[in-house]
Amino acid sequence: MSKVRILGIGSPSGDDQAGWLTVDALAAYGVQGEHELAIDKLDRPGARLIGLLEHADWVILVDAMQSGDRPGRIKRFGQDAWPGYTHGLSSHGLGVLDALSLARAFGILPPRLDLYGIEISLACPGDEAGDDIQAAARHLARHIAADLAAASR
Amino acid sequence: MTERRSVAIHVPVLARVEGEGALDLRIEQGDIAELRLRIFEPPRFFEKFLEGRHYTEIPDMVARICGICPVAYQVTAAQALEDLFGVELDPWARVMRRVFYCGEWIQSHSLHIHLLAAPDFFGCGNAIELARIAPDEVRRGLRIQGLGNELMDLFGARSVHPVGVRIGGFHGAPSLARILDMRDKLRAALPEAEALIRWAAAIPVPQDDQVFVSVATRHPADYAIERGDIGASDGLRIGAEAFDAHFIERHEPYSTALFSTYHQQPYLVGPLARLNLNHEYLPGAIRALLADIGLVLPSRNLFHSLLARAVEIWLALYEALRLLDGYRVPDSPWVPATPRAGVAIGCTEAPRGLLWHRYEMDDAGCVINARIVPPTSQNQGRIEEDLRLSLLNFGLDHPDDALRLHCEKVIRNYDPCISCATHFLRLNVARA
Repeated sequence: MSKVRILGIGSPSGDDQAGWLTVDALAAYGVQGEHELAIDKLDRPGARLIGLLEHADWVILVDAMQSGDRPGRIKRFGQDAWPGYTHGLSSHGLGVLDALSLARAFGILPPRLDLYGIEISLACPGDEAGDDIQAAARHLARHIAADLAAASR
Repeated sequence: MTERRSVAIHVPVLARVEGEGALDLRIEQGDIAELRLRIFEPPRFFEKFLEGRHYTEIPDMVARICGICPVAYQVTAAQALEDLFGVELDPWARVMRRVFYCGEWIQSHSLHIHLLAAPDFFGCGNAIELARIAPDEVRRGLRIQGLGNELMDLFGARSVHPVGVRIGGFHGAPSLARILDMRDKLRAALPEAEALIRWAAAIPVPQDDQVFVSVATRHPADYAIERGDIGASDGLRIGAEAFDAHFIERHEPYSTALFSTYHQQPYLVGPLARLNLNHEYLPGAIRALLADIGLVLPSRNLFHSLLARAVEIWLALYEALRLLDGYRVPDSPWVPATPRAGVAIGCTEAPRGLLWHRYEMDDAGCVINARIVPPTSQNQGRIEEDLRLSLLNFGLDHPDDALRLHCEKVIRNYDPCISCATHFLRLNVARA
């Protein structure tokens, strides 16, 4: 039985809840398959993310992104496509890619890592996520559920 | 005969520091003609935001000034107001404020050592490169940092912008079971912190010897963190209320952060200043370790700042463990407060150094005006002085890239938080 960890990353700020909405939707659908499954909703985890990648066979990570594309657009990133580390680490903001890059340097990335980004628009504290983001989260949750079910066959 | 160069170096964005600033360096005929640490991050007007706010809102508002040292802001504000209101904290709350503060020192110092400062000394451009050649050490650092965050979370309900402090104590008290679990983790981390000190002490650093005044809080009972008078290495010892009689803040046209001087001269605050002034209050075990590694205190080499942070990590772990021994859940984690008009003044030791607050309050308990003097603005003049002395010691004939790196190393010794000070490095070097 493979150990699968699903991480939804976000904050209580409008569209930035995209990762949380995805794992909520996935939990609501139910997950089929023979997996030892852990689902976490994380708020800007910083370096804590590194420890969550260890001892898992498969990690699925969903976060919001802003690339100027259409809000609600879903993109999957392979490890070779992670944006280059160029800006230096800040003590205030250790981002998801910083943490993933550190985990790669430590040699503790899981055998399979699916990194998804959902393009977002506004991230205002206290606001609800937009309809396009909520729809994208449900769509991605169904896709992940299908992936997990297929992996068990 | 060597030609004396005239150059200008501009570091347009300083990396691995908090906030936005730049360094302009102009060298003419082999001498430094101009050296300016420019902080251009816009002013944040926090003091103005506080005006009219009720005293109960202040701890949570000032926590937003800094994502890395919110406890310092909360505790300083709370204690200043408690002093004005005549609030006598329950001994439980007084001790737990120090434990809470230890959590912040642990996470802030570990983050700075491993992610910001140490890569410089291993020829690495960033912490990810350092993690490839020293993975065990960086992982250890992140574990220690994580434990600091946990300790903050224990009393603050979360480690980023915690919300646990209130005037009169804390909103809640952790359960005994959570404290026992934390004590196990603190005990297990102490040997890791000792290993960190030995690792930090083995890092080759430039030999720099500078004369400067160290300023830090001092307390007769312990290594000052959350309480104490203000002391200086020239013998000054004053209460927080006398700060303005000895320390002056002034504007410089090229910086949005204020510059502070002590008797018209720059001064040092932060871990090395604290260690220089208060090392006799370190527990015996750590003093023996420092003797073993050969650190002589007081130190006049700012490159000992990284090691000073490692020492304070050990101290904070030790203190938290000691103070949580015999923990009890109090009948109430807070005592009531009644506001009164007057001026509230307080100071504590934020991870980056002395933090001083002053609030003028009305009789309804609302802020009439506020003034906050953070560590980075106090260190700004010292950083410029250090850069000048350190560059002359290093030699100005090095290539621009070497000069730039040396400047950045010097600046990062201070772990400046430009976001707090208004609010790093763009180096602009001009050789004319």
